[in-house]
Amino acid sequence: MQAFDILYYDGKTSVSHQASLVLERDHWLIQFDQEFEKQTVRWDITQVERDMSFTSLFIFRYGDFPRETLECKDENLLTELKRLYPEKAFFEKKFNALLRQNTTVLVGLTLGLIGILLVSYFYVLPWFSEKAAEQIPVKTEIALGETMFENMISHYQKNDSLTARVNDFVKEIDFKTNYPIKVTVVREDDMNAFALPGGNIIVFDKILGKMKSADELAALLAHEVSHVHYRHSLKNIFRSLSGYLIISLLFNDINGITAILADNSNMLLNLNYSRKLETEADEKAVEILKANGLNLNGLVQLFTLLGSEASKAATIKLLSTHPLTTERIAYAKKVSSQQNAPVKNENIEKKWRAIEAERIK
Amino acid sequence: MEINHSDTRQVSFHGEGSKLFGIYIVNLLLMLFTFGLYYPWAKAAVLRYIYQETEFEGSRFAFHGTGKEMFKGFIKAVGIFLVIYAILILAVWSQNNVILSLGMLTFYAAILLLIPVAIHGALKYRMSRTSWRGIHFGYRGELKEFVQEFVIGGLLTIATLGIYSFWFTVKLRKYIFGHLRFGNIGFAYNGDGTEYFKLHVKGYFLSLITLGVYFFWYVKDLFAFFIDNLEMNQEGNVLKFRSTATAGGYFKLIAGNLLIIIFTLGLAAPWATVRTINFIFSNIVIEGALDTDKIQQTEMDYRDATGEDISDMIDIGLI
Ligand SMILES: [Zn+2]
Repeated sequence: MQAFDILYYDGKTSVSHQASLVLERDHWLIQFDQEFEKQTVRWDITQVERDMSFTSLFIFRYGDFPRETLECKDENLLTELKRLYPEKAFFEKKFNALLRQNTTVLVGLTLGLIGILLVSYFYVLPWFSEKAAEQIPVKTEIALGETMFENMISHYQKNDSLTARVNDFVKEIDFKTNYPIKVTVVREDDMNAFALPGGNIIVFDKILGKMKSADELAALLAHEVSHVHYRHSLKNIFRSLSGYLIISLLFNDINGITAILADNSNMLLNLNYSRKLETEADEKAVEILKANGLNLNGLVQLFTLLGSEASKAATIKLLSTHPLTTERIAYAKKVSSQQNAPVKNENIEKKWRAIEAERIK
Repeated sequence: MEINHSDTRQVSFHGEGSKLFGIYIVNLLLMLFTFGLYYPWAKAAVLRYIYQETEFEGSRFAFHGTGKEMFKGFIKAVGIFLVIYAILILAVWSQNNVILSLGMLTFYAAILLLIPVAIHGALKYRMSRTSWRGIHFGYRGELKEFVQEFVIGGLLTIATLGIYSFWFTVKLRKYIFGHLRFGNIGFAYNGDGTEYFKLHVKGYFLSLITLGVYFFWYVKDLFAFFIDNLEMNQEGNVLKFRSTATAGGYFKLIAGNLLIIIFTLGLAAPWATVRTINFIFSNIVIEGALDTDKIQQTEMDYRDATGEDISDMIDIGLI
């Protein structure tokens, strides 16, 4: 019978015994010298358990607590165990089997995992957060938007007189939404406007200053209102939040560094989502403008204005909230050409002239 | 008989990033397919690996916890957190200021109570499942005592706007290490709250003045304050712990880990983990005479520890 070199611990003290192990049909025999006397320990095979191991060391434990322990480095032990006790499962654990695969399998698993993650990130997550966003009651959405607005507006300088004029302008147009629309004009040297959940729209005064017609302003507002109406901001927030949550869950063990990283990459990835929403908002804007008898050329003017500004800027703005593409201008031109030029609405024009007068000041 | 009188000893770590990476990947896959329910088993696998690769005086440590045991704690923790958050959300929903303040109060009170319960449970569980040469660690703290200490300290910390937290931390360490056992070896923590406070004040202001450069000396000092105040006691034989970490070492560790994580988008996190564990163990020296053959098994309440762990949800990061 073959004997294996092992280390044996009796579970009572930390003494490490150099011992030999002999495998019998229904028991193991462990023999070592202690205080110049030969000691023999018998392990009944039914009570032997193997530790789930990730190293080349084989560890077996025996009996009730405090358990005896045996450590063996000899690879032959495993083959011998398989031969002697084919029915005992204690030397194979599923997890280990997965890990012992060669590197190709591991790399394959890794790639597969990354694939699954990417698919869920780009397809499952947007769908899921969209559904979640739809469940939020309008009342809650408005309250949430109001809180965000209060937070945001403190970073800007409000232009009260222009804000009042633009809100007068808003009243003349039916935006076909149940959300209470409230525009706030702020002083900011940037061509932008954005919509918060629940009806707040923030417009930078620079873009207002460059506009040439009532139709152009109406086009901008109709677009932003559409974002509100379709809950785009809410959906975006839900998506960033869930994306952030997932990324931080995945890399749970690596402290704040990844959190920051995750946050930024998340923002980058959101761009794709935004484009789809922009198209949806553009289409709804066209509908609103048509229904109010406004000239769709305003949309063309708006996009051309944004486009010219974008090309003027030396640096490309990667995270622009309104990504402008030639397709969008082309789309505006197409719908505009299909429209018979409508008669100008005098009330709207009057309110527009008030804005024009105010912005010169 | 082998009585080792060599004066200094170290714990060494033999783990490899690639192996840990393999475990992470398998864990991630299984967690994905079980909608996260695999988490306790994943955690057990990582702990088992890390313990198995940790060596002291030629023998490896072992972690005996199982996913099944931890799953019970996991489910409990999820349940408790669901209830606590449900209370908070309902209170916010009500839009009634009285209910809202009551809800907030309940929420914070529950968290304040839950943290010590979680720490206690986690320590008790983790220590009872940790062994070396077949001898188990043990935590003998009393839940009632610990919660009492924690709540009093926590309230004092709030009342003093956080200033008391330094004395509080030291007190907790004293309690925890005072009740930690490794067979017949006891532990003690000798830090002083005032010293800890001074260390933080100095570290904070010098980091500000030097635009963050001093930060590496600051973390080095905090590590040293933790390690240098630790001691082990084997039947009257006192062994001291000493930190050898340097600010330069910390700089290399943190900068390196940052680069590793950023350039691999977090994928190489296991390598960063291995570097960190290596750094910690290689910078702890244990001084004094230890008879590694004379450690007796003393912690017999192995079974009692099961199910005491509501830990984990508030991760307290014990390795
Ligand atoms: Zn838009």
